[in-house]
Amino acid sequence: MANQKGSKFIIPIGPQHPALKEPGHFEFTVDGEIVTGASVRLGYVHRGIEKATEGRTWVQNLYLLERVCGICSHVHAMAYVLGVERLAGVDAPPRAQAIRTLTAELERVHSHLLWLGVAAHEAGFDTLFMYSWRDRETVMDILESLTGNRVNYSVNVLGGVKVDVNDALRDTILKGMDFLEERTRHYLNVVTTDSTFLARTRGIGIMTAAQAEELGAVGPTARASGVARDVRVDAPYAYYPSVDVRIVLAQAGDLAARFVVRIQELFESYRLIRTILDNLPQGELEVRVSRRIPEGETVSRVEAPRGELFYFIKANGSDKPERIKVRTPSLCNFGTVVATAIGHKLADMPMLLAGIDPCFSCNDRMVQVIDQNGASRLWSWEDLVRHGIETYR
Amino acid sequence: MNAISPLLVLLFFPGGLFILAGGLAYEWVDRKLVARFQNRIGPRWFQPLADVAKLLAKEEIVPDGVHAGLFVGLPLVALAGALTAALYVPMAGLKPAFSFTGDLIVALYLLSLMTLCTGLAGANTADRFSLIGATRTLTQLFSYEAPFLLSLLGPAIVAGTWRIDQIHLYAQSHPWLLLTQPVGFLIAIVGLMGKLELPPFDAPEAETEIVSGALTEYSGRGLALFRLGKNAELFIGLTLVAAFYLGGLVNPLAFLLKTLGLLFVMAGLQSLFARLRIDQTVGLWWRYGALLALAQLLVLIIFRGV
Repeated sequence: MANQKGSKFIIPIGPQHPALKEPGHFEFTVDGEIVTGASVRLGYVHRGIEKATEGRTWVQNLYLLERVCGICSHVHAMAYVLGVERLAGVDAPPRAQAIRTLTAELERVHSHLLWLGVAAHEAGFDTLFMYSWRDRETVMDILESLTGNRVNYSVNVLGGVKVDVNDALRDTILKGMDFLEERTRHYLNVVTTDSTFLARTRGIGIMTAAQAEELGAVGPTARASGVARDVRVDAPYAYYPSVDVRIVLAQAGDLAARFVVRIQELFESYRLIRTILDNLPQGELEVRVSRRIPEGETVSRVEAPRGELFYFIKANGSDKPERIKVRTPSLCNFGTVVATAIGHKLADMPMLLAGIDPCFSCNDRMVQVIDQNGASRLWSWEDLVRHGIETYR
Repeated sequence: MNAISPLLVLLFFPGGLFILAGGLAYEWVDRKLVARFQNRIGPRWFQPLADVAKLLAKEEIVPDGVHAGLFVGLPLVALAGALTAALYVPMAGLKPAFSFTGDLIVALYLLSLMTLCTGLAGANTADRFSLIGATRTLTQLFSYEAPFLLSLLGPAIVAGTWRIDQIHLYAQSHPWLLLTQPVGFLIAIVGLMGKLELPPFDAPEAETEIVSGALTEYSGRGLALFRLGKNAELFIGLTLVAAFYLGGLVNPLAFLLKTLGLLFVMAGLQSLFARLRIDQTVGLWWRYGALLALAQLLVLIIFRGV
């Protein structure tokens, strides 16, 4: 309210706001309906997972890291096991790698369909939201029959996987993919031809390839601006070297392009899933990995549905990691929202935000307290304890 | 007897209880239809009533920085305006309770009172979402109001009267005006959607942008009254459009069929489109709506003059 007295009129979005599924804080300075400034503040859902990994064993961390993200849980576990296996000097059997990749692609399908619904909802197009989420149930059911869970699949173990694909399941998955492919074609048609929807997406939030490079955008957000960046292609991992991933690109860089890229990636995922199922290698599902991981450090990168997921893993020879650093794709993309927001209408903001497919609790990593003067300082444990006592006295 | 009958008219039919009950029933039909179009199940029949009962039972929080009198009074004025408008409209296909020359204009302004009150209610609070919502509500009012008015003037011009009752009688005795004035009908039904802030014209209360727009700070009784007012307006607006454009409402059955038919079309339109930005709404109305309505009005006047 104090802001109204000055010349600035700031619309706060978050930490609690109907447009946000998780807490984050965005401040949009508006002149009437036009946004003249934007800022973002994250960190409301910092959970201290990185620190927590240091007190748990390599096996326990598998369970913990899968819970970094509620949407792309499998890729987190996959990035972790691939890194740990590299440190331990073992290779998971081909069948295990194929099943990991299969699950990752199924997860991408579910994540992109989820995003389609959320983005449509932000645009006030609830019909598309309801239909895409209804169809998403198909892939959720497949994931459930494959792994037993709808969210945290828990497919990976160190050295392999613990689920297998039999013939009946294979048929179910293939049938599901056929259904989804048909539906996805319909959605592609809707987002590229519906004029009220295009009026909300075409030309909104244009980001050039140069901007995307400069802001370090990753994943579909970058690919919609014509930046050919996909870890599955650039540095294939797991079973990706055996399948040929085609990179989906668009040049426009606006919201409409982000819709098209994500939907086209769905087709690519369906194709990959079929290819993997057709050429599923025979053999063992896991190899033994010792409880202690030899000293060393490694970087593990995988392509999450939102972009490049980066794990740095350092082992000290014990049964617990020395340090695990996680950088999720959403963190890289937040800058693009702030950079592209200015000059657009307030009504476009929720869509711009949704356009990067943000995932808040995954990317909150550090407590940084910003005081009135904008200066920041790090708080020691004693400071935090004192602050807690004083606040809740 | 003479003292009782106006009271009955005001409290039960066609004012008062009948409008409130009808409004709630039509809100349910609307929600159910939209839900079915969206492949959802939708609420049970008593849900709108339950919502209102719940809201009425809750504490009404008057936030800091508002004019308390206005905050409490505006929902009452809005509801009263909508209910008063019902007296001049052929509810359930019966003769309007009151009628005088020029009551069409009065009824339309009474219906606009609701939007005006919503806008004022938003501007009254210090909440930023409310202020933006109020701006959008009033901007939208200025965009659809003129075309909507023009679209209802079409039947008035051909009937040669400004009395709703007589226009209604004219509509009954002539072919459906929907056929002779299709543009007017289209603008009337889309204008009604704009008036009620239904999707895709729901920018003033776009939840993903400005939470609940002008009514963000309202809870409890005030919110319940605003919702009742909006339901009443839906009911009355449908009656008015059906009476003018769908060959009149000769009996309660025709009334029911025609208004529900209109509601079906409106529910379909609600689920077909993405939300329009406020600038797109204004552009749509002034670039197309107003011009088309004017063009049709000109054609009608010229034909009558010849």
